Amino acid sequence: MARTGSGIRRGQTAAGWLFTAPVLVILGLFLLVPVLMAAWVSVSDWTGRGSPFAGGVHFVGAENYGTVLWSGGLAESDFGISLKNNFWYVILVVPLQTIVALFLAVMVNRRMLRGRGFFRTAYYFPSVTSSVAITVLWLFLFSASGAVNAVIGWFGVKGPNWFNDPDGIFHFGAQTGPAFLTRPTALGVSLWDWIGGPSVAMTAFVILAVFTTGGTFMLLFLAALQNLSEEVEEAALVDGASSVQRFFRVTLPQLKTTLFTVLTLGLIGCWQVFDQIYTGTRGNPSKTTLTPAYLSYQAAFGSNEWGPAAAIAFILFAIIIVFTLIQRWVLAERAVSKRRMKWIADYQATLARSAKGGSR
Amino acid sequence: MTMSNTRELAEGVGLMGGGTAAPRAPRVRERWTPGRAVAQGAIYAILIAIAVIYIFPFLIDIATSFKTEPDAAANPLSLIPQTWTTAAYQQLFLNSDFPIWFKNSVIVTVFVTAGRVFFDSLAGYALARLDFRGRGVIFAVLVAIMAVPNIVLLIPKFLVINQLGIFDSYAGMILPLLVDAAGVFIMKNFFESIPVAIEEQARIDGAGSFRIFWSIVLPMARPALITIVILSFQGSWNELAHFIVSTSDPSLTTLTKGVAQLASGQLSQGTQYPLKLAAGAIMTIPVAIVFFIFQRRIVNQSTGAVKE
Amino acid sequence: MKLARAGAVLVAATAAVALTACGSGFNSGGSAQDSKKPLTVLIGSSGPAETAAVKDQVAAWSKSSGIKATVQAASNLNQQLAQGFSSGKPADVFYLSTDALAGYASNGSLYAYGDKLSDKGDFYPSLVKSFTYDGKLQCAPKDFSTLQLIINTDAWSKAGLTDADVPTTWDQLSAVAKKLTTGSQTGLVIGGEYARIGAFMTEAGGNLMNDDSTKATADSDANLKALQYVQDNLKAGDFKFAADVGAGWGGEAFGKQLGAMTIEGNWISGSQQNDYPDVKYKVVPLPKGPAGAGTLQFTNCWGVAADSKNKDGAVDLVKALTSKGDQLAFAKAFGVMPSIQSAASEWKKEFPDYAPFLDAASYAQGVPTAKGAADVVTDFNSQVAKLATGDPKAILQSTQKNLEALTK
Repeated sequence: MARTGSGIRRGQTAAGWLFTAPVLVILGLFLLVPVLMAAWVSVSDWTGRGSPFAGGVHFVGAENYGTVLWSGGLAESDFGISLKNNFWYVILVVPLQTIVALFLAVMVNRRMLRGRGFFRTAYYFPSVTSSVAITVLWLFLFSASGAVNAVIGWFGVKGPNWFNDPDGIFHFGAQTGPAFLTRPTALGVSLWDWIGGPSVAMTAFVILAVFTTGGTFMLLFLAALQNLSEEVEEAALVDGASSVQRFFRVTLPQLKTTLFTVLTLGLIGCWQVFDQIYTGTRGNPSKTTLTPAYLSYQAAFGSNEWGPAAAIAFILFAIIIVFTLIQRWVLAERAVSKRRMKWIADYQATLARSAKGGSR
Repeated sequence: MTMSNTRELAEGVGLMGGGTAAPRAPRVRERWTPGRAVAQGAIYAILIAIAVIYIFPFLIDIATSFKTEPDAAANPLSLIPQTWTTAAYQQLFLNSDFPIWFKNSVIVTVFVTAGRVFFDSLAGYALARLDFRGRGVIFAVLVAIMAVPNIVLLIPKFLVINQLGIFDSYAGMILPLLVDAAGVFIMKNFFESIPVAIEEQARIDGAGSFRIFWSIVLPMARPALITIVILSFQGSWNELAHFIVSTSDPSLTTLTKGVAQLASGQLSQGTQYPLKLAAGAIMTIPVAIVFFIFQRRIVNQSTGAVKE
Repeated sequence: MKLARAGAVLVAATAAVALTACGSGFNSGGSAQDSKKPLTVLIGSSGPAETAAVKDQVAAWSKSSGIKATVQAASNLNQQLAQGFSSGKPADVFYLSTDALAGYASNGSLYAYGDKLSDKGDFYPSLVKSFTYDGKLQCAPKDFSTLQLIINTDAWSKAGLTDADVPTTWDQLSAVAKKLTTGSQTGLVIGGEYARIGAFMTEAGGNLMNDDSTKATADSDANLKALQYVQDNLKAGDFKFAADVGAGWGGEAFGKQLGAMTIEGNWISGSQQNDYPDVKYKVVPLPKGPAGAGTLQFTNCWGVAADSKNKDGAVDLVKALTSKGDQLAFAKAFGVMPSIQSAASEWKKEFPDYAPFLDAASYAQGVPTAKGAADVVTDFNSQVAKLATGDPKAILQSTQKNLEALTK
């Protein structure tokens, strides 16, 4: 026994702190401190010259938040529009990419599937590429005379001028709405615009998002599917359940944790969409692809409005947290009936017993 | 696609194929009926159709980069250019700053990947195996950090980089990306799965913590390290927002920032699609190569459980 | 105990950074001036021709003055200016647009050297007004451009039109546009934004703000008349916006022959030469509106940073760059017009084809320069992009409201 008790412990303490020091310093400096700094800027009147902590910068309380949320001016309506755009983006992208990812994972996970590796690689490849490269490609594919409109043309339909069409897709071509919808406004945006859904241009971005992130989440679902025991599925098969029933009643409940992870990651990612907007449309057409993340950047670096820009970032942070909590609550509520989970567990136990205890 | 910490973590889990497979019972033999054959055929058809939808855009990208502008506008779907031309590539490499962008991306990616591999595994090992005061707190802080979305950090990271005086420098581009919480978690999870006995034996033999880490445990962490390499390479090569705020000198522009500005028409007039698509294609190649090379190795690790 | 340990580390890190921050904050004021310190010049270039021209002139000045100066072409001028000012290390000399003037003048980023210029009176008065803030001339106008009508001479003759048919009233413009509209080509294709439609607004006697940018005048009958005129023609299909024909701006639509006419400024010469050399064109004055002749003018100035370490050298450089010789060299390189009146006749002799641009100097109006006006204009543009199916009165009313908020 060369070293005992506290000797080893002391060496490990020093090593422990030393090993984690680089991570702590860098994350502290570039993640923690920035958050604190941004919090200060959001409640100060810093105008972008010199240090935010210098003498001439004053505390202004919630004034910047007020500018963005209830001042009745351009800042508020810009924020409202960006929220509306991003909201519809999230509502469309998160369910679609989850369903697509799950569908692909189930298909690729089937037994007796040749070329599984090829399919998995093909579906995952877009996730590996940079959002900049994909957005550039999308600008070409979805241009007025581009590939997508050419394919749509095969079915006799004239495709829209995707990235230049600001009409909300749920307006179905109506140019102005009824007065009872166009008059009331929330955050400077009329109700008619709120229910209009994403614009055609934003829809092209929705398709882009599903295309590039479906593969990532497919991998997660695949990992989870491969962890499921086959006996439970086979038991259900023997019991006479069809494959659809098997999927919804046996497979899906066991994927709940992964489902929660995928939905959470999707929400967090979608509320921060920035790269594609910066590369592609920069808010056009008619501010229908403006997102809070891009607005925050634009307000700070373009219009020199640092206080409101930081305020927007924190409001977005709050929105993400709220959505994540809502989603968690919803999933917990609609939990698989305890009865079914118990049935699954019982069956697994039975099989384990029979495998141990010999023939039955 | 912003690679937030949590997304990287989940992707790492996915890449490593999850944990061990469940024990297998004897297979139920399924008989081949004509119905099954049709169903199987339909499934292949669907899978292939979807694969085509996923692959075709990239083929269009490459094909269009060899077309002339009018050809690209007139025949958007065709994969064969009417006249093959390398004009786009010539302009990219000879008439623009593209080579500089490429160089900068390489520099940043190499340093960030190396840094993350080393520092993340170091910290992950400490959190997994070293017993020291404060370990729990550090873990909790890391989890909290992972919850902060990137958007909140966009402006303030610029302010901090400014204050530290590393704005418009390689240090400003590399340092903030040098470690990531998700990587630490991936390594920590992996190290926890290594049997303790090996380390205990080494410790009894008198080896120090770093020795154990470097010579004994790290070589065993191949799959996890490969995952970190892939994720770090992808994350830093494809990063955009950070480079927008940390530099303004044109000689420090990376591929992502440069191509983004090219796309929004700041460096050229009009819509020069072959040029932009050529830029997009070239910037995708390195990360695709890394993906294909390393992914095979990972799949081989976990194919024991997966029926191919 | 664990908590205290970790907490201490975090507090220490935060304190360290905060102290650094405060430290550099105190350093930002009162930098020592040195008239030999090298200068950096940041420009927002329209292309390689402009960058090369600026570099040449700056190099020439460097040789004669003995002060080193480097020119940087910004990829995103506004963002890089903002980053430079907030880091306390901005470029010494830079392009400053009318949009950005109020913002940077108000937070003390600019060195107002206007009074140090001996030949201040040589600049066009309207340009001087655009760059005066708080009663002081903040920077020297470097050049300007105006909008006029560009016509594709081949399409013109193909439609059977002659020089006598050049439109001089709005009705004539509509008629000519209708004649020129064929299946693949629209009569007039312009950018769907204030920077183009504003020309019609001035011809009707209106504009978004008054001359001093102190009062909002968006909601006026004149502006309404102008928007309705454009809307009628959009509905008839004789006018189109560039985005709707798949072009990035009017010049691209014109060069690709998607439009037979366009409304653009001096820069059209450079882009046509580089990208669409086969399209033959002519510059003619815009038609007169109900209130007579009118057009918009666009201008930038040479800003000098208040944080510059060599302010005297910077001002000297600007004096050289705004001299007649340098301005005419720039005009030759990328088609702008000199900001000094004494260079006017020489410029017209050099570029007789572009005379209409310079003739407009007497009646051209500037864009709003109030602080925050750029955002209001962006909002106006986002609404006017849908002008074909929109409500002009509502657009003008919301713009009026937004502009009034700026002048409160």
